Amino acid sequence: MIPTPIHPKLDPANPFVGHQSRNQIRESFVRWILRIGTLIIVSVTAAIILHITVKGAPVALSREWPFVNVTFLTELPSTLHVIQDHQGHIIETDVNGADAIKMQLGANLRQEKTISYSGGGILGPIVGTAMLVIVSVGVALLLGVASAIYLSEYASHGKFIEMVRLAILNLAGVPSVVFGLFGLGAFVLTAPVFTSAPLDRAIFTLPLGFTTLSFQGWDTCVLSGGFTLAFVILPVIITASEQCLQAVPLEFRETSMALGATRWQTIWRAVLPFATPGILTSSILGIARAAGETAPIMFTAALAFKDKLPWQKDLVALPADASWFAHWEQSIQRFLAIFTESVQALPYHIYTLAARIPQNEYSERAQYGSVFVFLILVASLAATSIWMRRRLRAKYKW
Amino acid sequence: MLASATSPKQPPPIVELRGVDFCYGTHLALHNIHLSAERNRVTALIGPSGCGKSTLLRCVNRMNERLTGARVSQGQVFVKGKNIHDADVDLTQLRKQVGMVFQKSNPFPKSIYDNVAYGLKIHGITAKDILDDAVERALRSAVLWHELKDRLNQNALRLSGGEQQRLCIARAIATNPDVLLMDEPCSALDPIATLQIEELMQQLAHDYTVIFVTHNMQQAVRVSDYTAFLHLGRLIEFGDTEELFSNPKQKLTESYLRGTFS
Repeated sequence: MIPTPIHPKLDPANPFVGHQSRNQIRESFVRWILRIGTLIIVSVTAAIILHITVKGAPVALSREWPFVNVTFLTELPSTLHVIQDHQGHIIETDVNGADAIKMQLGANLRQEKTISYSGGGILGPIVGTAMLVIVSVGVALLLGVASAIYLSEYASHGKFIEMVRLAILNLAGVPSVVFGLFGLGAFVLTAPVFTSAPLDRAIFTLPLGFTTLSFQGWDTCVLSGGFTLAFVILPVIITASEQCLQAVPLEFRETSMALGATRWQTIWRAVLPFATPGILTSSILGIARAAGETAPIMFTAALAFKDKLPWQKDLVALPADASWFAHWEQSIQRFLAIFTESVQALPYHIYTLAARIPQNEYSERAQYGSVFVFLILVASLAATSIWMRRRLRAKYKW
Repeated sequence: MLASATSPKQPPPIVELRGVDFCYGTHLALHNIHLSAERNRVTALIGPSGCGKSTLLRCVNRMNERLTGARVSQGQVFVKGKNIHDADVDLTQLRKQVGMVFQKSNPFPKSIYDNVAYGLKIHGITAKDILDDAVERALRSAVLWHELKDRLNQNALRLSGGEQQRLCIARAIATNPDVLLMDEPCSALDPIATLQIEELMQQLAHDYTVIFVTHNMQQAVRVSDYTAFLHLGRLIEFGDTEELFSNPKQKLTESYLRGTFS
């Protein structure tokens, strides 16, 4: 009988072959591939942040008290005039100062450059973004929490609900420029308004006697942009809210129902209070998303340039003896005007500075300053969200 | 001996099941149950796991019906002489009359006061003095008042397990129900807390009718006046607790009590 030769790898005589076996080499190869992949991601992120900080921080911050560039944060954008004399001095000024300086220089004027949007500050875009975020998060929370409650507490499981869930997931995958076009069609051009003089382009008008409900759209304004952004962040809010509702123990609902509560009473008293912290926390991530989107507001709310803040609308001056009612009416008008005006927004401002005007050192400066401020704003929102989640997680345990 | 509803000497039973079949979808969980619980008595439901004792308990306040397809398919359930499946029955009012305590103590993560006042607020009571009175009365009945009267605003989750379960009992009786259903109220508690709850259950029987589920036969002996033994969705035997444990009529009951199967 011929003994079958034993395979050298299975040789029992030598159990400690050493760590350089092929499996060991493969193991360390894979480990290094994964490690390098992670390192690439981290270094790209770090490079982006470093680049923006190095270029943007000098614009937005300052070395002396109050350590921020007050002009940059508190003035509206304007056209920058750069005047150069023959001695090589460079003076930066706005349109008002330019003439006086030119007069003073006289023949010494070598050249004058004007750079659009790059002077002044970025208060307009900051305010505009804040208002868009307020409107969109308000609308998205109302709609999103309502549908999350319905999906989680009321709807019975079935084909229809699965379809709804699928639709919500798909909504998250829609390109944002499509939302922009949707907002243009739905809110800018067809949403209903009360007016006494309907436009011809209204697709439908409904006379109500004292006024007319006209489907003529809200025009490009904070409302249109805010509603459009609301639909962009709805999937995030619905999904997060539903998860927060599901995280509330079933026993709370059972106990409440067993005490004779209706379903709504149960939701209002025994489910929502414990889900709210989570819902709010995750909606902050929605805020960061809404603040960052450019495409949805391009057609619906944002302007490249505006020399007024939303509440600085010109209204007819009231006569000195105007009644309190006229004053009251005008302050209401002023308040409503905030939401029916177009605004500048940070992402769109950055886009304008980076892609719509000729590039030079001055436009680049304004651009990096805006990006830096924007990054700080979004990062602090995200940090708030993480911090709140930590705190609430410790507080609401059951 | 069946605790019969027709006996002339006894008051009419407060809870009565007449030939109840209960099914979850197509699965028949209870089959032809006849059972009645007398006022101010403690009735225990015993039986092996999955025999339908919790389902039976939940028939009395219609808590099962939250699940789709779960329903009483035959027979009637009467509480205080009223068929609880009548079209004009308001479920919230039924559950106000039939309180329930669950297996796992589950106070809301709110203050002790808010926990006890929860049911009252649900039923529209907002006056502070009425709430205060009711909370005190409920906590006294649950033998918690002296322990907790100085820290009513403390979060209920900081109480011990036994205190939490007694708080849940206080919460259930704050709306002043007639019947108190308890689904294995002591199964998650240590022996001392269990004894306290058992004592409390007997005291509660002075004011309420208690029906409880237990997997602990000694507990049924210690606490209950009547015991029902269920097996595979059928009521095998129902009668006076002492009688049932000392002299079971059915073979199945006897072998269950002897521990031949569980």
